[in-house]
Amino acid sequence: MAQIKIFGYADKISVKAGDTIQFHVSADGTSTAEAHLVRLIHGDEHPHGPGFIEEEIDCVANGTWRVEKQFTQVGAFLEVADPDRKLALDGSITLCAFIWPTWPDVGHRQCLLGRWDNDKNHGYGLGINPSGRLEFWVGCGNEIDYLQAELPLQKQAWYFVAATFDARTGRATLYQEGVVNRYNSLLGKVAPVDYRSHVSEVFRFRQHNLPDTPFLVAGSRDWHALRGHFVSQLYCGKIDRCGVFDRPLRREELDAIRAGEPPPSFGMVACWDTTKGYTDRGIGDLVVDIGPNRLDANGYNRPVRAQTGYNWNGRNDCFRLAPHEYGGIEFHADAMIDSNWKVTRTLQLPETLRSGAYAMRLRGGDGTGLGEEYVVFFVRPRVPTGRIALLFSTATYLAYANERFATDGHIVQPMAGQPPTICEVDIEIYENPEFGAGCYDSHADGAGVCYSSYRRPMVNMRPKYRIAAFDLPWNFPADLSILAWLEHMGYDYDVLTDEDVHLEGVAAMAPYACILNSTHPEYHSERMLDAHEDYIAGGGRFICMGANSFCCNVAFRDDEPWILECRKTGGHWKAWAARPGEYHLATTGQMGGIWTGFQRWGQKLVGNTFAGEGFAHSQPYRRMPDSYDPALSWITEGIEGDIIGDFGLGNGGAAGIEIDCYRLGFGTPPNAKIIASSGGHPDNYIAHDEEGAYSHQGFSGTHNYILRADMVYFEAPNNGAVFATGSIAFGMALPINGFENNVSQLLSNVVNAFVRPGPLPSSAIREGKESVEHLAI
Amino acid sequence: MLPLEYDRSQDRDIIVRDRFDTLRREFLRTIVTPEVIEEHRRSPLGQHSERLERLLIYFRQRPLDERYALRTVEPFGKYQVVRLSGHRGTPPRAVDETIYASANEALHGLFLHCIRDLLET
Repeated sequence: MAQIKIFGYADKISVKAGDTIQFHVSADGTSTAEAHLVRLIHGDEHPHGPGFIEEEIDCVANGTWRVEKQFTQVGAFLEVADPDRKLALDGSITLCAFIWPTWPDVGHRQCLLGRWDNDKNHGYGLGINPSGRLEFWVGCGNEIDYLQAELPLQKQAWYFVAATFDARTGRATLYQEGVVNRYNSLLGKVAPVDYRSHVSEVFRFRQHNLPDTPFLVAGSRDWHALRGHFVSQLYCGKIDRCGVFDRPLRREELDAIRAGEPPPSFGMVACWDTTKGYTDRGIGDLVVDIGPNRLDANGYNRPVRAQTGYNWNGRNDCFRLAPHEYGGIEFHADAMIDSNWKVTRTLQLPETLRSGAYAMRLRGGDGTGLGEEYVVFFVRPRVPTGRIALLFSTATYLAYANERFATDGHIVQPMAGQPPTICEVDIEIYENPEFGAGCYDSHADGAGVCYSSYRRPMVNMRPKYRIAAFDLPWNFPADLSILAWLEHMGYDYDVLTDEDVHLEGVAAMAPYACILNSTHPEYHSERMLDAHEDYIAGGGRFICMGANSFCCNVAFRDDEPWILECRKTGGHWKAWAARPGEYHLATTGQMGGIWTGFQRWGQKLVGNTFAGEGFAHSQPYRRMPDSYDPALSWITEGIEGDIIGDFGLGNGGAAGIEIDCYRLGFGTPPNAKIIASSGGHPDNYIAHDEEGAYSHQGFSGTHNYILRADMVYFEAPNNGAVFATGSIAFGMALPINGFENNVSQLLSNVVNAFVRPGPLPSSAIREGKESVEHLAI
Repeated sequence: MLPLEYDRSQDRDIIVRDRFDTLRREFLRTIVTPEVIEEHRRSPLGQHSERLERLLIYFRQRPLDERYALRTVEPFGKYQVVRLSGHRGTPPRAVDETIYASANEALHGLFLHCIRDLLET
């Protein structure tokens, strides 16, 4: 009997009570699943905490669902809309393109462009054959004729390539010339590499086109008995301007295109100008045909735009400055931004559903292992009711979605200070590319993954999940410890997500007197960052619960908020590095990387941000002198001694995993105080020192006082205030001893003060003190 | 010196890497003592002595297909030591049948595999 596996996703991550949500489910080994709506309360099964807690919710969708195996098209490509079959050329033809292959020696055929049916062997194509050579082929069903270049293509080198076919004589010709300049390719002029190949042969027959074959760039049509049509022969690399002609172009005409001259209009069927349609605010998925038939092409699985083109010369660093130098569209055979599964069930949520973190729990068979799935989503009230909101870091969840640190990341074991602890689902996503990757992964061709989406199963945005690299609950399951604390303390709260803040700005935050965010609020769009700043400056009271806060800059399209773009650049800590000239987000045109690069350090917003990380072992905080200031002692009221949080589900302490520190030079407000601070972290904690551009001995925990979590407090204008914990482990300390501990005490002191209308206790005390001093004078 | 025939692959960096690795392993073998192994058994995570730390840093830097990991058989109850494949799509494989009753015991079992590899190859 086949192993039962169930995976699913919802079309929305944030909904309101009464809204409709769709569930997409795929199952192996079973045709039914038991579904039940649940409210999630605690997600960490650690035996020192309360364990996993869910509340079953009555719902019309509860019961047995019919489920089936669903297939996912991986790989990025362009599909040309050609209803009149202008590209079904049965006679003479020229195909041409600028290309920059990243994996020519992958060992299987890659189609660059063509109208090719890989199952029935009909049509024509220009591609790279299994030996890494440029190849042109035509097929008539029974037979295929091939013409290959004399030498393999070099990886990461720009070429202009073409294939011409004279149907009258049967002569096929390949044209391959390097267009390498000082900047655009891996190698320079000093490398004695031969890029050129010109070969010719007479084919035995002409191509025959099937009526429904699509013209594709970076792939070709295929067919499978169970899944039907799909795209295979996926290409890894960049393609710049490309075209199709209905006559064999002469050598000198091809030389002229290679030299940058406009392609001839005579015989032109399509000419995709990959630099057209750019705007100052970003680039879409449509690739414009400037030829006579307007056969625009559309990207599938989001081919990467805004990449350097064949004529990039190093002077300009963004498509906004020189769009004509940014014609590169990058394709990856394992790109995946939407599973595109059929809808399994649509559900209108009850109007009375309280705000919270929910999941559709699905169980197949005995409901154990991969037979159990939680499709997580967040529910806001129709009208905000609570004075408190818990803000879930859905942008960060997206950035880390389905990361494969433990099995694929060379750097992860040294960074984590421990070997990984892998579970069944980690192995499942390592074996199966259909889950897609996150922005901490690289594509199989070596390039970093810059797009991530929640329209596919996100196996690590699930309760109970522990990140393999660090053997901890990470992001969402860790954040449930904060939600469980709010529940235990009896606070009336709503939930919010990053998506709400991105789409609605400060309006999403404004109704709440106090907002707590997550254990790891790392990724923010510009709009999200602005909303936070305006909320606090406008009198909002904000508790930054985690660390590595407000570090990274990401972008979303308004009409597709489920897809995040991230370009890793700047600073010296990143999972991968955007290539030179490719630092800007295609989604918005803004530079990617970390907010430090924009003079918007996290310290400017919440008083502290990233000091470093080390995992494996956490420390307690020690109270600092500011905690004894009579004006601030309300924060630590009820806490005895100097030590806070020498316990926790996050490696035994409240300060650790990733930690943030106060820094006036990076914009910590001058009135900020340090209530408590950690230190003495092990040497696998390494400082992320933005000032120290040089790495040197002494950057590690026992040598460097920078490596500490600071609990920071400051008052903002209009009775606003910020309390920042500076530690991912802080929230994971709350559940210890039935939520009765000094971390919990401290947080409740802050929340109670923050939700109370009127001046903050510190202001009131200071004002009182000032009036006494005035009288004394 | 390594003979010229040592490696004919295009990437000459491999030769330098292997020579460095040979020298590093020669030194690391000299610091494996019962005391270091006992120190790890007592506390597999956190701050360690310089000797143990050197060994652990080396083990964590091995090529992916030479690294070990734990596999959770039962959360917080049963663990196994596996070896990573280093090849996307190929799952890790168990190194033996031993089931450990805690993560710390399993981490130490994994450490002993690393020590054995260091001393025996």
